[in-house]
Amino acid sequence: MEAFLPVGILFILAIIISAGLFTVKRLLGPRNPVPAKLAVYECGVTPESSARIPFQTGFYLIAVLFLLFDVEAAFFFPWALVYKESLAEGPALLIAMLIYMALLVLGLVYIFRKDCLKLN
Amino acid sequence: MDLTDLIITVVKTAVIYIGMIQVVPLMLIVERRGAALIQDRPGPNRVGPFGLFQPIADVIKMMMKEVIIPSQVNKALYLLGPSLVLLPASLVIAALPFGDFFSVFNKPYLLQVANIDVGILYVLAIGSLGIYGILFGGWASNNKFSLMGAMRATSQIISYEIPLGLAACSAVLWYGSFSLREMVVTQEGTLWGVIPNWGVFCQPLGFLLFFIAAFAETNRLPFDLPETEAELVAGFHTEYGPMDFGTFFMAEYMNMATMSGLMVAMYFGGWHLPWIADATLLQWLGSRNILAILQVVTVVTKMAFFMVVYVWVRWTIPRFRFDQLMRLAWKNLIPLGLFNIVLTAVILYLKGAA
Repeated sequence: MEAFLPVGILFILAIIISAGLFTVKRLLGPRNPVPAKLAVYECGVTPESSARIPFQTGFYLIAVLFLLFDVEAAFFFPWALVYKESLAEGPALLIAMLIYMALLVLGLVYIFRKDCLKLN
Repeated sequence: MDLTDLIITVVKTAVIYIGMIQVVPLMLIVERRGAALIQDRPGPNRVGPFGLFQPIADVIKMMMKEVIIPSQVNKALYLLGPSLVLLPASLVIAALPFGDFFSVFNKPYLLQVANIDVGILYVLAIGSLGIYGILFGGWASNNKFSLMGAMRATSQIISYEIPLGLAACSAVLWYGSFSLREMVVTQEGTLWGVIPNWGVFCQPLGFLLFFIAAFAETNRLPFDLPETEAELVAGFHTEYGPMDFGTFFMAEYMNMATMSGLMVAMYFGGWHLPWIADATLLQWLGSRNILAILQVVTVVTKMAFFMVVYVWVRWTIPRFRFDQLMRLAWKNLIPLGLFNIVLTAVILYLKGAA
């Protein structure tokens, strides 16, 4: 736990810097709000509609795929850590990983075949 | 941990953090003069000698400008956005090793904010939190450009997180440790007595993947799709005022510095000089603390090299299209990352069997 104490110190420093930036710009900058200045920016044209619009499902799909693959990739890390020490006990871990990897590649191929990554 | 320890830790942390913040003004001038050099024009050369005071002028200009909070925004999230990007960018530097250790009153202190034994996982975990700030800021702005920029930024960063993680995974496999300090220590000496025993020579494919993913993670050209000025005005920070933009900018440069630091620690031997062992250097220099200074200079020089490469690449390679970017991540980098893991595992197995 003591190893993370400096991280706590760094966190406090980072908060101070962020809060400082936040305050300084408010203290130094002038304020002169007029409606036209505060309007939404759409290249100078009057905004057509709200920006709370539905977005492409492609982005959602990428998020779902990321979740799957990142969790799967996370399983590699503990394996990678113990792999070197287990080398003396034969290729059991290597083979286990290869099977797992094959399943992962199968999933990847499935994504490509289904064309899940097509945006637009 | 007594009081002296605590004071030294606080001072060390503050010095490293402030030092990393200095990357921002430095890179501001390097980037603008570098761009000018590549495009064959003078660049900013009026403020101070050779335009060296340009960053100060820029910061003063940003601070003195009017603060505008547009009327249509979701105020809480809008105001939170920049800080939420800056915080993770500040926190990740904790794991970077800048040198071995220095000693005060004959007590060793590591040249690193915290010696976290899951270093690389910590960096990946905290680093990806920056997305929340971008997504909050972009969505809360209630502007179509911002929303699209934020969506693009998010899908780009999460997509490139996977190759980054896979490259890091093969590095973990090679070094047998999560700790960046351990990785640097393992890279001492030479490979077959000729080339330095650096990660870039043992893990060339892993380095390449990490290098490409680092560009995408920091939203740099050729992957700066979230801020394509030709299509999205300024992307997720369209509705932000100058100092908020400055905060995003700061976070971007600090992320770049962190990525450079990671590449130096994982693939370029950290504080080691090629072909010279630390013990020999210590003998020549005679003092631990002088060696520590030399190590910090070595790490910073290597990081500076990568920072210049960032600028160099930015003005050399044209921008990708968004679907090309996604295809590059999923169809090329991820299979290559998986292949690299298998390759590393097999080589390690053969090495172990031999």
